[in-house]
Amino acid sequence: MSLLPGTNKVILYLAFCILLTGCVKDIDLDQAEKISLSPDLDVDLLIYDISEEYFFRSENNVFQPVIRDTVRLEFLDDDYIQKDLTEVEFYFRHINTFPQGFSHTIKFLSDAGREQILIQYEVAPGNSNNPVTTDYTEIIEENRINLIRNSIQMVVELEAHPNSKEFKGKLEFASTGLFKFDF
Amino acid sequence: MRCWPFITFLFGFSLLSAQNKPLLYNVDDLPQSLMLNPGAQIDYKGHVGLPFLSQIHFSAGTSGVSLHDIFRDDGTNINSRIREAMHSMTSYDHFTVNEQVEVISLGWQLDKRNYLSTGIYQELDFFSYFPKDLAILVNEGNANYINDIFDFSEAAFTGEIMAVYHLGLNHRFDQRLTVGIRGKLYSGIFNAESTGNTGTFTTVATPEGPNKYRHIVENMDVQVNTSGFASLNEEEGMTVEEGTAELLKRSFFGGNVGVGMDLGLSYLVTEQFVASASVQDIGVMFQRENVESYHYYGSYQTDGLEPLFPDLDETGRAIPYWDDFEDEVDKNLIDRTYNDPYVTWRPAKFNLAIEYGFGQAFLPCNYLVVNKVRYMNQIGMNLAGVLRPRGLVYSFTTYWDKKLTEKQRFRIAHTLDDYSLANFGLMYSVTFNKFNLYLAANNILGFRDLAKARSTSVQLGMQMVFKDL
Repeated sequence: MSLLPGTNKVILYLAFCILLTGCVKDIDLDQAEKISLSPDLDVDLLIYDISEEYFFRSENNVFQPVIRDTVRLEFLDDDYIQKDLTEVEFYFRHINTFPQGFSHTIKFLSDAGREQILIQYEVAPGNSNNPVTTDYTEIIEENRINLIRNSIQMVVELEAHPNSKEFKGKLEFASTGLFKFDF
Repeated sequence: MRCWPFITFLFGFSLLSAQNKPLLYNVDDLPQSLMLNPGAQIDYKGHVGLPFLSQIHFSAGTSGVSLHDIFRDDGTNINSRIREAMHSMTSYDHFTVNEQVEVISLGWQLDKRNYLSTGIYQELDFFSYFPKDLAILVNEGNANYINDIFDFSEAAFTGEIMAVYHLGLNHRFDQRLTVGIRGKLYSGIFNAESTGNTGTFTTVATPEGPNKYRHIVENMDVQVNTSGFASLNEEEGMTVEEGTAELLKRSFFGGNVGVGMDLGLSYLVTEQFVASASVQDIGVMFQRENVESYHYYGSYQTDGLEPLFPDLDETGRAIPYWDDFEDEVDKNLIDRTYNDPYVTWRPAKFNLAIEYGFGQAFLPCNYLVVNKVRYMNQIGMNLAGVLRPRGLVYSFTTYWDKKLTEKQRFRIAHTLDDYSLANFGLMYSVTFNKFNLYLAANNILGFRDLAKARSTSVQLGMQMVFKDL
C-alpha cells in the first residue's frame, strides 16, 4: 500500500540520481597553492632609561660623550626570518629631559661585525619640566630585507652634545619592530 | 564546472555531518540499528555481514564554513576569503569527521526473547573547535589587535583511530519493552587530544610604560596528549608496509585498550507509538603505550630587552642579553614533554526517539508464528547528541519511514543541526531473498553542489539477514 501511489519510486530514483551525480561547482582547488599566512607581528625590541651618570666613567668619573651597547638578536637567524620576512618597520622613541641634544645611532651588524644597516637621527633637547619626545621610523622594504637577514647584532650608540647648560636629566628610549611575514 | 563522481567524494574528499546516524535508527530490519540502540525492536532472527562491507560510514561537517566559501572561483583573492571566513566563524564552530567500517558483523536469535550480536568495527573520529583567536593571531599577527586578548582555551580537539570489539544482547522483556546492552573493548591505534586549555596572550599599549607595548602571557596551561604517534614519528626509516603492520598490530590489542558499553530500550506506549532511547560509547580508553604529551605553562610579560651600558661586563665580555632573555622566558614559560599514561573518554552519544506507525501491514497468515502488528509507515522524531569537549552537540531529526513492500523500504528525514537547517536525508534498503543492501545519505540537497554543503554523511552496506531460520 502506498500513501502516494506511483510516486515513491520516482522520488527514490530522483534522490539517488542526485546522490550519484553529486558534484562540486564553481570552485578551483588549485587556488590552494596561493594560500599564505601573512601575519604582521609588532614586537618590543630595546628599552633603556638612562641619566647623566651613564656618561661618566665609573672608574674615574670622567665625562664620555659617547656610550654604546650591543645586543644580539638571535631570532634574526631563525628560519622564519631567513625565509619568510618581507618587511620590517622599526619605530624608535626618545623622551628627553636633558637640556642637551643627542645623536642616536643604531647599527645592525652581521655575525662577523660587518655593518648592514645604519640608522641615525637627532634627539631633540628637552628640560626637566618639559620632556621632549622624538619619534623616528625606519622602514626596511623587500629590496633591503636581506640586510636584516644578514644581521644578528644591534648596536645602540648615543652621543651627547654638551652645551652651556647643566648636563643633567633622563633619557628614555623605546623601540619596536613591526615584522611582516608571508608564509 | 567540474563534476566528480560521488564515489570519489566519498573516499577522497572531505568536506562533510554529525556523527549520529538518524537514517538507520530504529530501522527494525537492519542489524545496524542494534549498533545505535541495543534495545531496538528487531524483525529478523539472524544476520551475517559481508566482511568490510556490512557498513561503510563516513560523515563530516563544518559548522561555520563551506568549501565554496574558501575555493569559489570568482576572481577574488583566496587569502581575503580565508580571512573573511575566519572572522565570520566563532570559537564554537567546529569541524568533525567520523568514519566507521564494519569488519565483521553477525548475530543470531538465542531464543524468542534474546538476540545476540557481535562484531568488530574500525572507527576514526576527529573533532575540533575552531580556535578563532589563535587562527587570527597566526594568520594576521598581533599588529592590528593591540589590547585584544587571544584566548588559548579556544584550542580544543580530540582525534582517535581504534578497532572496536563488541558483543550485545537484545532482550524482549515483554510485549511492550525491549532492552539491550552492548559491551565494547576498544583497541586504540592512535589518539591525540587537547582539551581544558587555559591562558591568554595580549599585546597591551602602554603609553605610560617603558615601551610602546607590553606583551603578556597570562596563566598559560596548554597540553597536547598523544598516543600511538611517537613511535611512528621516531622511526625515520619505517616503510609503508612496516607502518601498516604496526597499525594492524595495535588494532588487535597491541597498543592501548579501553572498555565501554551501549545501553538502550524501546517501549510500546500504545500499539502505534514506540518510544526509544539509547546511549552509546559510555567508555574509557587507557592510553598507556607509546604516549607522548606536550605541556606548556606559565606566565610572563616583557617590554623588551634592556641594555645596561656599558658594552662589556666587569670581565670584559659582551653582556649576553638575548641568552639572559631566553633563560628568563624558559624559566617562566615552561615546556615539558611527558610519557605518562593518560585517560580519555569516548565521545558518548545519546538518542531519544518517538515513532508513530500507521497503515497496518498485511502479514502472511501462519498459525505457527505469532506476528506482532507491523505498520507500513512510521513517522518519528529523534533527538541525538554527541558529547564533545565543551558539551553536547545536538541534532533533531523528523522522518517518514515507508515500507514499499516486504523487501523494500525507504526513509526520508529532515535534520536540524549545527551545520544546516535544510538537511534532508534518504535511506533505501532492499532485500533479495536474504541478501540485504542499503544506502543512506544525509543532506542530499547538498549533493547538487558539494562545495556549498557544510555537511553530509553516507552509510552503505550489504549483509545476509535471516527472517526465518
